[in-house]
Amino acid sequence: MTKSSLLAIAAALGFAAAAHAESATYAIEPSHTFATFEIGHFGTSTNRGRFNKTSGTVTLDKAAKTGSLDVTVDTTSLDTGTAAFTKHISSEEILNVAANPTARLVATKFVFNGDKVSEIDGNLTLNGKTNPVVLKAQNFNCYQNPMLKREVCGGDFDATIVRSQYGVSYGLNYGFPDNVHLVIQVEAVKQ
Amino acid sequence: MKPSSSDREAPVSGVPLTAPRGGARPCSGAAARGGRALAPFAWPIRAVASSAIAFLCASAGSLPALAQSVAGPVTYQLDPNHTFVTFEVLHFGTSTLRGRIGPVNGEVTIDRTAKMGDLRLRIPVTTVSTGTRMLDARLREPDLLATTEYPEAYFVATKFQFDVAGGVKEVRGEFTLRGVGEPLSLVARSFACRQDAMLKRQVCGGDFDGALKRSRFGATMGLPFVGDDVHLVVQVEAIAP
Repeated sequence: MTKSSLLAIAAALGFAAAAHAESATYAIEPSHTFATFEIGHFGTSTNRGRFNKTSGTVTLDKAAKTGSLDVTVDTTSLDTGTAAFTKHISSEEILNVAANPTARLVATKFVFNGDKVSEIDGNLTLNGKTNPVVLKAQNFNCYQNPMLKREVCGGDFDATIVRSQYGVSYGLNYGFPDNVHLVIQVEAVKQ
Repeated sequence: MKPSSSDREAPVSGVPLTAPRGGARPCSGAAARGGRALAPFAWPIRAVASSAIAFLCASAGSLPALAQSVAGPVTYQLDPNHTFVTFEVLHFGTSTLRGRIGPVNGEVTIDRTAKMGDLRLRIPVTTVSTGTRMLDARLREPDLLATTEYPEAYFVATKFQFDVAGGVKEVRGEFTLRGVGEPLSLVARSFACRQDAMLKRQVCGGDFDGALKRSRFGATMGLPFVGDDVHLVVQVEAIAP
């Protein structure tokens, strides 16, 4: 092996190491991470419900413009502001949270626009059924959090899912919409 | 996703805590043309009385319009199970922090013929819910919502704009938070009326957007890391008598 090829290998390894160093792991910050669903109510107004407990990790490689995430939502933490509504949605008739206490989003494809994440393509498991989902970023940013003294990345994402694809078909026959809008706030702290 | 009536928890009538001072205020329910923001406590206790007063006032002030009217003014009681205010504010320029306030009680009088309306919301800011108890507690403190001193916010609106179909397009009035009143406009993203199969009444409502600067109300904690611009997302449904 020549000196130059050794140098080339060393350079390649060095580059790989540097590139690897760009990939970082971020832990979901639960007080700034919430999934809210929005569903039309008889064509009049929009009903909302928020899941209060979310956990998981995100990896982000800003240089390679790649990322992945594995996030779990505690479906028993649903909170609509109206106890009867929360109870009904949690029941067997709709989300059946006793049987399926978690929803999970797993994604390995992050789309970047410049240095910002603009889209996440993943798979959502809800009510025990898994379907592909595309989350579009409305906001994305990273900042140095002065309290945590760490980098925090996050944003606002939204997606529309078809609830019958997840076996959630309650009320379709009397006009409750099949499309549900998901509004997601997320922040994650660099580890 | 929820049937409107079968699981209702709260009564639909928003009964004011305080009776009108100095007796009834005739025409307070139909003071739209005056455009004067009324004291939050001034509206009549009984919806029936309110409707009647609004009707009388409308007829006194707008005879030609009333002559064409079939229904006249109708006073709707807000359905607290479908009336919530959500605020949205940007956190460190990164993600949107949301808080829900409600259920909200109140009433709205609409006269589609005279193109007038009168909305009174009592917004229980003590109910603020972000999903994080520590943040809820922080929001109630004196430098934010100041809920001990001011447990309610109010929105009193007497300027209504209607679309060609008679739907509410925009309501303008005065929003009072932490005892500070500022003009506020809520613009309809959607508005519709339906005959509710379970209530057997007409229900009108929609989704409205508003914007305010929290510093104008003295809620300054966290500026500028947490934004001054607050976006209000209001779900409202109201039930006809």
